[in-house]
Amino acid sequence: MRNENLNTETTTGDYMLLFRGPHWDKGLSTGELQQAMNEMVAWFERLNEGGKIKGAQPLGGQGRIISGTDRQFVVDGPFAESKEAVGGYLILQAGNLGEAVEIARAMPTLRYGMSVEVRPILAECPIFQRHPELVRQINNRAAEELWVAAAA
Amino acid sequence: MSTITQSDYLLLFRGNVWDRGLSPAQLQKVVSDWMAWFERLKAEGKCIGGHPLEEVGKVVSGKQRTVADGPFAESKEAIGGYFYLTAVDENEAIEIAKQCPGLEFGSVVEVRPVADVCSVKQRAEEYSEPELGGARASERAYETVSQH
Repeated sequence: MRNENLNTETTTGDYMLLFRGPHWDKGLSTGELQQAMNEMVAWFERLNEGGKIKGAQPLGGQGRIISGTDRQFVVDGPFAESKEAVGGYLILQAGNLGEAVEIARAMPTLRYGMSVEVRPILAECPIFQRHPELVRQINNRAAEELWVAAAA
Repeated sequence: MSTITQSDYLLLFRGNVWDRGLSPAQLQKVVSDWMAWFERLKAEGKCIGGHPLEEVGKVVSGKQRTVADGPFAESKEAIGGYFYLTAVDENEAIEIAKQCPGLEFGSVVEVRPVADVCSVKQRAEEYSEPELGGARASERAYETVSQH
């Protein structure tokens, strides 16, 4: 493992928008729904044409949650009716978190109760940030390996 | 509900606190196991991509479009990262999820099929087939972006 891979400040310039509360359409009239969908399409296409979107997919309502030390605890997720459930995602290219947030604020369906989580995508795991001793250890090991290789 | 016609799945890794209290040796092992797992899945063509998410971030919500700091640092529910999988079926995706090295320390993996059609669009079409031209445009827009 090379030392430069362990940069703890590595951000990618990409942001993940997580769309939460996929049942925002409940109770809307056909007209309201049509308007909301048209606005969503316009928002999406404007971003796409601006080269801001690197990927986007809706997620199916089905799903499973895996947990537990024995790795056998598999349950159906409570995705259908939860306001917290993630209904889809969008990977955005933005200059900084502020720009990503402004793009999220322009999302039309916010007014119907959907929320958007905006998260910077990292190149390296934040565990490294919390555990600098781990980085030192791995760096030391890598240095030792280099030394051994050089000696050989 | 939408039918699963694709074999793409998103694994969402939940919980940002599971590494607390691990010894340096445990931590080093779980991190290197995790990286090896990711590299193997990529080499096998099962994983197209994946990234950790920074523990800072914002939540935008409401008619006023309020911006709040998210509780991402100390939450068991918070999403810490994701893998994008190509699997034969859901069972294979679940089997892959079960290999996650963080599970034994309390990490949780959510396995979600990537849908070909937005569920709202599908419901909208059930309400009124001919009126929702915009929904079809939405589908086209989704198709124009490449998967990450």
